[in-house]
Amino acid sequence: MSAIRTIVDWLDDRAGVRELVNEALYESVPGGSRWRYVWGSALVMAFVTQALTGIFLWMAYSPSTQTAWESVYYIEHEMAGGWLLRGIHHYMAQMMIVLLAIHFIQVVWDGAYRAPRELNFVIGLVLMLVVLGLSFTGYLLPWDQKGYWATNVGTELASQAPIAGVALKKLAVGGSDYGHHTLTRFFALHAGVLPALLVGFLVLHIMLFRRHGLHAKDRNRAPDTTFWPDQVLKDSVASLGILAAVLALTVWKGAELMAPADAANPYDAARPEWYFLFLFQFLKWFPGELEIWGAFIIPGIVVAVLFVMPWIGRSKAGHLLNVALMGVLFGGAAFLTAQALYDDNFAAWNEKTEDNAARYEASQGFLDAKQEAEHEARRVIELARSPAKIPPTGALTLVYNDPYLQGPKLYKQNCAGCHNYADPENSDLRWAYLVNKNPSAPNLFGVGTRKWISGLLDPKQIVSAHYFGYAGSPFVGDGDQTDMVDFIQESLSEDLDNEQRQAIQTAFKKIAAALSAEARLPSQAEADARDAEMITEGRALLTGGLADLLESGTSCTDCHTFGEMQDIGSPVLDDYMSRRWLLDFLSNASDERFYGELNDRMPAFAPHDDLRLNQLDHKSLELIVDWLRSDWYRPSQDTDASETANP
Amino acid sequence: MANPPASQSDRPNATKNRRSFFAALAAITTGAVVVLTPLAVGVVTFLSPLLRKRQSSTVRVALLAQVPDDGLPRYFPVVADREDAWNRYPQQRVGGVYLVRQADEAAPTAFTAKCPHAGCFIGYAAGADHFQCPCHTSAFKLDGSRVRGDDEVSPRDMDQLPVELRELQLASGETATEVWVEFIDFQTGHKQPIHTT
Repeated sequence: MSAIRTIVDWLDDRAGVRELVNEALYESVPGGSRWRYVWGSALVMAFVTQALTGIFLWMAYSPSTQTAWESVYYIEHEMAGGWLLRGIHHYMAQMMIVLLAIHFIQVVWDGAYRAPRELNFVIGLVLMLVVLGLSFTGYLLPWDQKGYWATNVGTELASQAPIAGVALKKLAVGGSDYGHHTLTRFFALHAGVLPALLVGFLVLHIMLFRRHGLHAKDRNRAPDTTFWPDQVLKDSVASLGILAAVLALTVWKGAELMAPADAANPYDAARPEWYFLFLFQFLKWFPGELEIWGAFIIPGIVVAVLFVMPWIGRSKAGHLLNVALMGVLFGGAAFLTAQALYDDNFAAWNEKTEDNAARYEASQGFLDAKQEAEHEARRVIELARSPAKIPPTGALTLVYNDPYLQGPKLYKQNCAGCHNYADPENSDLRWAYLVNKNPSAPNLFGVGTRKWISGLLDPKQIVSAHYFGYAGSPFVGDGDQTDMVDFIQESLSEDLDNEQRQAIQTAFKKIAAALSAEARLPSQAEADARDAEMITEGRALLTGGLADLLESGTSCTDCHTFGEMQDIGSPVLDDYMSRRWLLDFLSNASDERFYGELNDRMPAFAPHDDLRLNQLDHKSLELIVDWLRSDWYRPSQDTDASETANP
Repeated sequence: MANPPASQSDRPNATKNRRSFFAALAAITTGAVVVLTPLAVGVVTFLSPLLRKRQSSTVRVALLAQVPDDGLPRYFPVVADREDAWNRYPQQRVGGVYLVRQADEAAPTAFTAKCPHAGCFIGYAAGADHFQCPCHTSAFKLDGSRVRGDDEVSPRDMDQLPVELRELQLASGETATEVWVEFIDFQTGHKQPIHTT
């Protein structure tokens, strides 16, 4: 005990520690400690939390376009406790906005801005602006689609500011376009400039607060007390409650990380963080060039009014006016926020009618984009977690090279106009947007699988819209290429007795297995290996064996090439629906290996040696083909592989 | 603590006062130079993006054959070399254009997909009779004009880009027509289209 006393004495002698501690802890609290005084301290606690978590995030964050998302992904999904660290930072930031609002409302309501506290009120407002700046800059740092596109709107608006707008945007963004320097600048602001300003103004704020003393609501409510320990206890309990709420949000929702920012792939559901949503909505009220009113003039006037509130509030009437202004401000912001949320979710909460069609569609677009973005984010994270990890060029490379993500997009642009893509048995919501209800070509869902080929060899299914029965098909009815359909229907005609029918159906089943094995689908590799015998039998049937079973005395190779070349405009069956076969087919379906001159509709996407003339490049074709063949990375495959590697 | 500061009564006399005025001036000047030099150097570097000019590039976006003359918009990504500080990305998607060709028109009209309001990407759903911006719901007719005119939040119609048709001579002797577009970036929020360059 005496050793501690000696040290404290020594420190006190040199630095006046006892006085400092006394000053800090024994501030008088007139009228006793109260719960209503906790908000300022809670804000300090929130800021300390942000500083602490921010510094540790900083130790793992790397601001560049190839590493920002990647390092945040690594924090969130790979580092021990990273999700918690980021979650606390994410939700405490939002909590700070709420606390600021409460603190502000209380100060105005109580008239705590009156002399001599005007200057401290002004400093408080500066602190509020700094915190809003921290929120705005922090939103971009993960460099995900949401932050990127929302911030883009923000800086685009800044460029419309009178006189220096364009220069201002260029300086903020570090050039004309978003890039490395946008991140380095935003990060320097977020982790350096703004926190330094915040600390500086916070010190002034607290100094002045101590100088003026606490603005007591009711001095005679209870005997005076000191800050330590009564008020500190209340402040700590409140702070603990806030932390608990932040932790609960983190565990419940987690901090979101969308797909990596992509300048070429707009995110249609880009919205600012909820506390800026009212500004976003406000802009919708100002058509054309009036926008400057919504973006600058009115918000500018509002902020200016806030700064002069202490002077307006000198008289009782002025104070009431301030309270009314604050009510209008918060009420307006709440209304606009609700309106923005309602607009975005309109389609989820309402039925579509003729009158609300435009509104409904806009909302549906938002909801679809949001869902798709979430789907994409899950996929990129899955890819980033693969043993191959993220390449040095960044996670966007993963996005661009993934058939699962790019295939459907390319398919929609190039194929969905004619082909349907839908599981005939179950509707898969993932691909709902690829359904074509009036197809003019076969359904490509599961193309090349045993099931798909079995359908093609089924007399009923082959004439359905899923295969050759679509409107205007040349393969059915009065068409000029009905050989295939006729062959299948005659082979299994109604006249057959049960035994014959069964024998032929079994033969078709084997042929389907053999043909499907030609595709070498990764999803069917196991079945192909298991049914090697059936596949061998199937190959024998389709190369002639079938002829013995059928009245027509023909088999597949009477028209199709399979090993032996036939020359009558029927697709080659060697490697049927394999990667190579499909790539060649998509490149030029009019090639003699496929439909030759009989091709009446399938575009040739890449028939030219001169690549400039092709509609699609090789990579796009590969992505479409791999997606159609369900040949994409799956996390489970990989666990299987590692299990076999390490028995 | 051994030498307490001089009290008011020990103030130097007038000559000393003049001297100390110059001393103070010199001290302030020296101090300012010391602090402002690094600050000024930092500010200059910070301002350097203002000196960099961007030039819009003319890029090939499609073959004319890919734009049927049915008056319906077709979206094409704009692929060009892109520089970002120390990186150069060859052939990157840098934006998007809609090409619309009316019946019997030789060249299509090109609209940039960037919304004149706040720079979001304007969308087009196949078959729809208008373009729609997903952010603040501006709507544009297929000729790029605003559906509700001046009541629309967008201050002007969709921005058009200069289109050029170029003949491509093939090794085989055949020709093909390419659509080239000058990909200009426009400032948002103004009634007139102003280049950002």
